[in-house]
Amino acid sequence: MTEASPAAADSARPARTALFLAFLKMGLLGFGGVLPWARRVLVEERRWLTEREFAELLGLCQILPGPNVVNLSVILGARWHGPAGALLAMTGILFIPVFAVLLIATFYASVAHSSVAHNAIGAASAAAAGLIIGTAIRLLKGSRLPPRGLVVGAAVFVAVAIVQAPLLWVLAVAVPGAIALEWYWSR
Amino acid sequence: MSAAASPDVLFEIAWRFASLSLLAIGGINALLPEFHRVVVDVEHWMTSAEFADLFALAQLAPGPNAMVVSLFGWKVAGIAGAFVATLACCGPSSLVCYFAMRRFERMKEARAREIVQRALAPIAIGLVFASGYTLARAADRTEVALALTVIATAIIAWTRVNPVWVLAVAAAVGVAGLG
Repeated sequence: MTEASPAAADSARPARTALFLAFLKMGLLGFGGVLPWARRVLVEERRWLTEREFAELLGLCQILPGPNVVNLSVILGARWHGPAGALLAMTGILFIPVFAVLLIATFYASVAHSSVAHNAIGAASAAAAGLIIGTAIRLLKGSRLPPRGLVVGAAVFVAVAIVQAPLLWVLAVAVPGAIALEWYWSR
Repeated sequence: MSAAASPDVLFEIAWRFASLSLLAIGGINALLPEFHRVVVDVEHWMTSAEFADLFALAQLAPGPNAMVVSLFGWKVAGIAGAFVATLACCGPSSLVCYFAMRRFERMKEARAREIVQRALAPIAIGLVFASGYTLARAADRTEVALALTVIATAIIAWTRVNPVWVLAVAAAVGVAGLG
């Protein structure tokens, strides 16, 4: 049975250790959100994915249940090293950083009410929002979406951020709509 | 946090969170109202204010923001609770993700796969913009905070400066009392 290996389409197939370390890095450095780190490590540093491949995978992670970056670790780990790879990547991004979070949580109670900590956290959150928007701009630049893609992306943004429609409803309309549009154009 | 985590409590955490796992389409944050209902209103594991504190902590701490669920488990039953909660919340969804993707990547119709992937990319990018915008709306209560968001956006989008420095400098600006 000849089966086209999906891994063949990738520019690289990292070794198990490299896979684990990359996801561990994302998990441990992901202050204010893991996504900016996921893009930076996978696309810029290791060059395992192109900007466009990353955006496409992220789209799949978003429509599947579960945390997006955890899904990303499962998909990429499995693609490169099967079930063991999925478990390795998940351990790196989730099961080890859990310790760090619990450690921080233990100390948090003692500093939570100091105004210095409060100010630092407030300012860092403002910058963290910028990290996410900057990541979105990078993905937009790198994906070279056709005009129809720009329309779909803008519509999703307006529906979720401005109109604040429930995400599930937005996806229920946007996903079949975008697939139909893409199918129509590719005939 | 209770000193001894009884098996009953761990079991309760496991099935409560596992039953929400498969509903978390779009990530855990989309399910927060439902988590609030379960851990505050139904189980009385914590107050609404404690819930909000743990949420803020998870946003800030390293690791996926979904780790707020680990913190819920920790609050209820210590370290064992944290691990049971993490596994329950991410286990079922990860299994679905694993098998769904295996099917998807082995689909015979390469063209259909291509179409689905190309259709999803702009949706993903729109959602990332939306979450950045929503976070900025919540964080930017002062002009300095707004400036920090704009500067951080520009640095990430157009330079290769390490995000750690961006966050560290921003925190220092906050400590200096400018925020």
